[in-house]
Amino acid sequence: MSAEQQIKDTITANDVVLYMKGTKEMPQCGFSSRVAGVLNYMGVNFADVNVLADDAIRQGIKDFSDWPTIPQLYVKGEFVGGCDIITEMTLSGELDTLLAENGVAFDKDAADKIREANG
Amino acid sequence: MPVTDEIETRLTKAFAPTELIVVDDSERHRGHAGYQEGGESHFNVKIRASAFDGQSRIQRHRAVHNALGADLVGRIHALSLDIGV
Repeated sequence: MSAEQQIKDTITANDVVLYMKGTKEMPQCGFSSRVAGVLNYMGVNFADVNVLADDAIRQGIKDFSDWPTIPQLYVKGEFVGGCDIITEMTLSGELDTLLAENGVAFDKDAADKIREANG
Repeated sequence: MPVTDEIETRLTKAFAPTELIVVDDSERHRGHAGYQEGGESHFNVKIRASAFDGQSRIQRHRAVHNALGADLVGRIHALSLDIGV
């Protein structure tokens, strides 16, 4: 199966997918760690794909989204952004809205705590 | 040309920014993945330009990626972008 088809299958089968360096339990990069940490803290159920484990996916995901960096977050098959964008959207509350609109469960209190700590 | 200057040159040419700060943040990542002796691996960029008016976050980032070019983006291990109007 091509990398592109694998990616399409993965982001279709899972509401929230994070392409990252390492895993959500053991991130291998500070930027991947930050996004995985936000999602974990907010109690979002997400699939993690470790691009370091598969060179075809590592390049394939960059081609797929036309985005040069990892991590990359997908919600309901749509590319949302990388570390900078997810951080901004977390602090502005836009991530809450996006998740809610897509029927993805998350802990609103935890999200508020992140904003309080970084306000 | 140092990478910091290269980034400044390309972004200035593309967006005529009202504010542009490019910081080589590599030393803070010493020992981490992607660090190389002499720096030039990790950059923080803050840019403000009217060119970004009306663009989504993704569009803004794409515009900066395109202005820097694949060659330069490929050479940088980590690029943190703060983009606004």
